[in-house]
Amino acid sequence: MAFISSGYNPDKPMENRLTDMGPRHFEEFYPEVIKNNKGKWLYHEILKPGVLVHVAESGDEVYTVRVGGARLMSVTHIREICDIADKHCSGHLRFTTRNNIEFMVDSKDKVAPLIKDLESRKFDGGSFKFPIGGTGAGISNIVHTQGWIHCHTPATDASGTVKATMDKVFSDFQNMRMPAHLRISMACCLNMCGAVHCSDIAILGYHRKPPMVDHAYLDKMCEVPLAIAACPTAALKPKKVDLDGTTVNSVEVNKNRCMFCGNCYTMCPSLPLADKDGDGIVLMAGGKVSNRISSPKFSKVVVAFIPNEMPRWPTMTKKITDIIEAYAADARKYERLGEWAERIGWERFFEKTGLEFTHHLIDDFRDPAYYTWRQTTNFKF
Amino acid sequence: MATVEFEGHTFTVDEDGFIEDFNAYNESWVRLVKKEEGIEELTAEHWQVINVLQDYYKKNGIAPMVRILSKLTGFKLKHIYELFPSGPGKGACKMAGLPKPTGCV
Ligand code: HEM
Ligand code: HEM
Ligand code: SF4
Ligand code: SF4
Repeated sequence: MAFISSGYNPDKPMENRLTDMGPRHFEEFYPEVIKNNKGKWLYHEILKPGVLVHVAESGDEVYTVRVGGARLMSVTHIREICDIADKHCSGHLRFTTRNNIEFMVDSKDKVAPLIKDLESRKFDGGSFKFPIGGTGAGISNIVHTQGWIHCHTPATDASGTVKATMDKVFSDFQNMRMPAHLRISMACCLNMCGAVHCSDIAILGYHRKPPMVDHAYLDKMCEVPLAIAACPTAALKPKKVDLDGTTVNSVEVNKNRCMFCGNCYTMCPSLPLADKDGDGIVLMAGGKVSNRISSPKFSKVVVAFIPNEMPRWPTMTKKITDIIEAYAADARKYERLGEWAERIGWERFFEKTGLEFTHHLIDDFRDPAYYTWRQTTNFKF
Repeated sequence: MATVEFEGHTFTVDEDGFIEDFNAYNESWVRLVKKEEGIEELTAEHWQVINVLQDYYKKNGIAPMVRILSKLTGFKLKHIYELFPSGPGKGACKMAGLPKPTGCV
């Protein structure tokens, strides 16, 4: 397409430049009933999966219908979301912290037509465009990352693994049969953008091979001390390398110390480590962020490696549903997955989920690893 | 990588316009980058920032942290942005011939 100027003048880049305006104030986008009752809500109920009502002191009610979103979406799809909001919600809508979409209406009779409209919309391939659910003790949307769509450090894909998983647990998105909320998150490398370190179940991209070293370019492209300081296990050291007769500054990787975190590649483009067969997925479980009953917890590694099986990751989704079913069958009401595992003991967790316990799961990172071993005779056979 | 000709010199650059090799730097490079970085006239203050960055890189093998750059030049961050509208990384480091900043930028 031919170039069309927005009015920006590249010869005078600082002229008419607006900056530091920040985001629009959220109050500009409130639905009327939210604006009128802000700070005066009395109570709420979950009427059915995906549908909430909040009642204010004034007696006003707001009905919220939550629908799943793929997070990665086209403008066409956002326009369709806007059309729905125009038709049913006087042009208002919001997105949740798990990237679901919520449509709000101010009276009960507007709920059924909205739901009917949402349920009728499907993509050509058959997937629901706006599946209703995600509330209460079920499985809501999966917080996830960029994967092979856009990032340069991933060990797996985000959108693909998430679609495969949500398809498997779809009935629990539209249901509230779990003992408590079950949060699934996904990150495509152990930078852990997002919530994998604090979720009930977490999908994490993982490498199993040390970086390759591009000696010819390393000193040109990288600030060598940064690459060395990036390594958590001090596996890198500076080294002069002979390259066709010329000596260049580079680094040496001690493969016995490297645990494939990829931090050095983040800092230095000459240390790539992605590998088709080496890369795959780690599953973690038992994290939570709320303070309800127990304090927030980190998730723990429970499956050391699952290969990348594009496009549907069947082994991964099988193991995830194994964990979910064991938890749903055994945990007490209100008990989050981590609380359940800690109450029954992790040795029972592995027994009930059928997951294999391997030496990879035993912490060996610095002094704090010691505290994760068992210094008691209290255990179950 | 692409090459650009300027004032009789040939520079190899990446897709973001950073120079491929610090050792290929010369003053023509600064005048070449100046325009795309939105700088009308190079002042003594611009050169001061460029010289500090180059000295620091030669001595330490890394670009200085922003606070160190401020301390060494005496320029507050706000003034560095006035000199280099794209900021100390994309603007000043690029002009000084340093490698492209990495990490979650
Ligand atoms: C005094 C004000 C409020 C309090 C104390 C409150 C409290 C709560 C609590 C405790 C939950 C968790 C329920 C659960 O664990 O199942 C919840 C859920 C929720 N509330 Fe409210 N809320 C308030 C106002 C609002 C308002 C004004 C809205 C938006 C219209 C809202 C939207 C939600 C949503 C979307 C959920 C999530 C339901 C779910 O995921 O299961 N809340 N609220
Ligand atoms: C304006 C006030 C509040 C709002 C809008 C609010 C909203 C929410 C929302 C949306 C959730 C669901 C989060 C999620 O699971 O992802 C939640 C959970 C929860 N909130 Fe709040 N909340 C409010 C105040 C409170 C207060 C005052 C309490 C108790 C003192 C409280 C206790 C809880 C509990 C127990 C949960 C469930 C946590 C879990 O299932 O792990 N909330 N709240
Ligand atoms: S988790 Fe890693 S690979 Fe995924 S988006 Fe974040 S930095 Fe990129
Ligand atoms: S991948 Fe991680 S552990 Fe291995 S050398 Fe790089 S920074 Fe160190």
